[in-house]
Amino acid sequence: MSSEPRYSVALQNVFKSYRLWGRRSQFATLKSALLKRDLKPSPESSVEALKNVSFAVHKGEAFGVIGRNGSGKSTLLKIISGILKPTSGYLSVNGRIAALIELGAGFHPEITGRENIYINGIMLGLSRKEIDQRFASIVDFSGIGDFLDQPVKTYSSGMYVRLGFAVAVHVDPEILLIDEVLSVGDEEFSAKCVAKIQEMKYRGVTLLFVTHQLDQVRKLCDRALWLDRGEPKAIGDPMRVVDGYLQEVSGVAPAITPASAAEIGGATQEDNDLTEEERWGSGEVILRHVALVDQKGHELIALGAGVSVSIEMDVEVRVPQDDFVFGIGIYHADGTCVYGTNTDLEGLLPDRLDANGRVRFVMPSLDLVAGSYRVDAAVHTLNGRAFDYRRGVLRFVVGARVHDIGVYRPKHEWRFDGGITFKPVDSLQRNVPAPIAEYIRESQSAEPQFRKRRSRSEE
Amino acid sequence: MHELRTLYRHRQLIAALTARDLKARYRGSILGFFWSLANPLLLLGVYTLVFTVFFPSQTVRAYPLFLFCGILPWTFFSAAVLESTTSISSNSGLIKKVMFPAEALPLVVVMSHLVHFVLATPILLAALVGYTLTGAAQVRMTVLLLPVLMFLQAIFVAGVAVTVSSAAVLFRDLRDIITNLMQLGFFITPIIYPMENIGWRPLRALLRLNPMTPFVVAYQDIIFYGKLPGISDTFLMIAYALVGAGFGFTVFDRLRDTLAEAI
Repeated sequence: MSSEPRYSVALQNVFKSYRLWGRRSQFATLKSALLKRDLKPSPESSVEALKNVSFAVHKGEAFGVIGRNGSGKSTLLKIISGILKPTSGYLSVNGRIAALIELGAGFHPEITGRENIYINGIMLGLSRKEIDQRFASIVDFSGIGDFLDQPVKTYSSGMYVRLGFAVAVHVDPEILLIDEVLSVGDEEFSAKCVAKIQEMKYRGVTLLFVTHQLDQVRKLCDRALWLDRGEPKAIGDPMRVVDGYLQEVSGVAPAITPASAAEIGGATQEDNDLTEEERWGSGEVILRHVALVDQKGHELIALGAGVSVSIEMDVEVRVPQDDFVFGIGIYHADGTCVYGTNTDLEGLLPDRLDANGRVRFVMPSLDLVAGSYRVDAAVHTLNGRAFDYRRGVLRFVVGARVHDIGVYRPKHEWRFDGGITFKPVDSLQRNVPAPIAEYIRESQSAEPQFRKRRSRSEE
Repeated sequence: MHELRTLYRHRQLIAALTARDLKARYRGSILGFFWSLANPLLLLGVYTLVFTVFFPSQTVRAYPLFLFCGILPWTFFSAAVLESTTSISSNSGLIKKVMFPAEALPLVVVMSHLVHFVLATPILLAALVGYTLTGAAQVRMTVLLLPVLMFLQAIFVAGVAVTVSSAAVLFRDLRDIITNLMQLGFFITPIIYPMENIGWRPLRALLRLNPMTPFVVAYQDIIFYGKLPGISDTFLMIAYALVGAGFGFTVFDRLRDTLAEAI
């Protein structure tokens, strides 16, 4: 019945305890290891690095693991890679796995870069022939150039790491485990690594990485796991998990959970009945209501291309702030970020947020291609700790006469000179379903027609 | 069986690491490979001086050749076993940071010392030919058994090396214990004296318990005496090789999971 598993890595109730090494316990271990085959340490002499960790990473998913130092992140990667064995629990890995736990870990300083590429490649599971095929590409990626035939001990630390990364990513794994390695090297190299990792993700490689660079988790990951003292504290949407982590690190207890969002928001659920909103934040400042409105202040859920609209946020201030940023993001239904910005990125310095008010993000012309979109709205601190983050707070549909593709439609027209001519065609006669054609006709008139039944109470 | 398959899968790795080991060892030194010969040659010189000039040995003609037959296999054994005690802890980076078959490390040590041994045999054979020309020894067909004997010994050495490499991670004192045992072992193996010189039977029996004894005696038989190794020695060697390797990999398998944590 069951065909190929859909997940790359699955853990169930994984526990890991480390033995504390004392002088005496070493003797005990050797003896017990040889005689009893029983290596489970007694509880008084062990630390639990992982406690009851269960999750699955799907094929092709980018999965981030965050947490404080010592929370068991690296232990987790080592267990998945097979370097360590779980003390108890179940682990299943489907696919060829490569672990970037330390770049260039297998390099020998006395021999040349060329020889080290071969040895490192073999260690990572390639055959000599496979390395021959990839050799030029590895050298090219590493950019070590003339140093290829010099002993590795003459390399700068940057070159060392570049060469290590170059070999590792050429192993063509199905699952790539990355531990903090993106934070080494200069800006240029980091960018190159991130680009390479994105390329691998695009090719369907499952990525699992541990990092302290929360930005990378937000940018690269589809899901994230937050480990706290060996226990999974949150798992899911990376924005949300990272935010939960930031809340805790900054010492503020999160007030808004999805369960309480309905209470706080009041009309929220009703307003966005088309959507499945996710919401989190500490709640000192709240986005009471978020809407897409036309010039006259009517709320819209569908609009034509190129119309003038605003995103309005009604802000409720429960605790005055002087550190605040308002942000919005527009996403295509497939998850592509169309546009995102915030007041901080645009150089607006927060002064005071004392009382309730309204924020308007005005777009004189929203040039999107036909499709459905969702909007995220947020108010947070400069370092990214959310007061209120509302993911998918509203959704809207853009209808268009032309079935062009992509997400953004630049203002444009076609011009033809010389012998190139086209017949004049009423494009509406082409096979467009009747309701859409009707809608399009309406949307071509000056004012968009698809309003919400209920106009806003404030109007 | 499972171990053999693992080893076969990692043959390229072991070969590449052995080559790396040898290259790295001689890079930057002028005399290079000569240094790995210097040790047994110096030992040979010292004992030849002692036993031909200070205490002339009556029973063995061509004493340096006799000595040479025992010193080379002993050096292979002792150097490989001693070095394997640190093979895992000195490569902790590989064990902790890379998915790496840890048993490859002691085996690489054994392989690179085997290479030294093989490279030294032409000198041994040249000495044999030299003594044959002076009439003090004779080249016989039994010399052709040398590769077989070396193969058998290598399996035995690998078994011991794999055992001590894993045990030494958990039990650091092992290295010092082995260093001292090797000093003792050199004298309770018939290297600097022929087995026949031991008249007292209980002592001879004791020497027989030393697993290196049948190997060293067999080397002396096929090279120095030009005769086939004795039947009991042959059985003992095969038994030591198989039991040693079996025991070594079993111990290693049991300790494997703790290595990454214990280093």
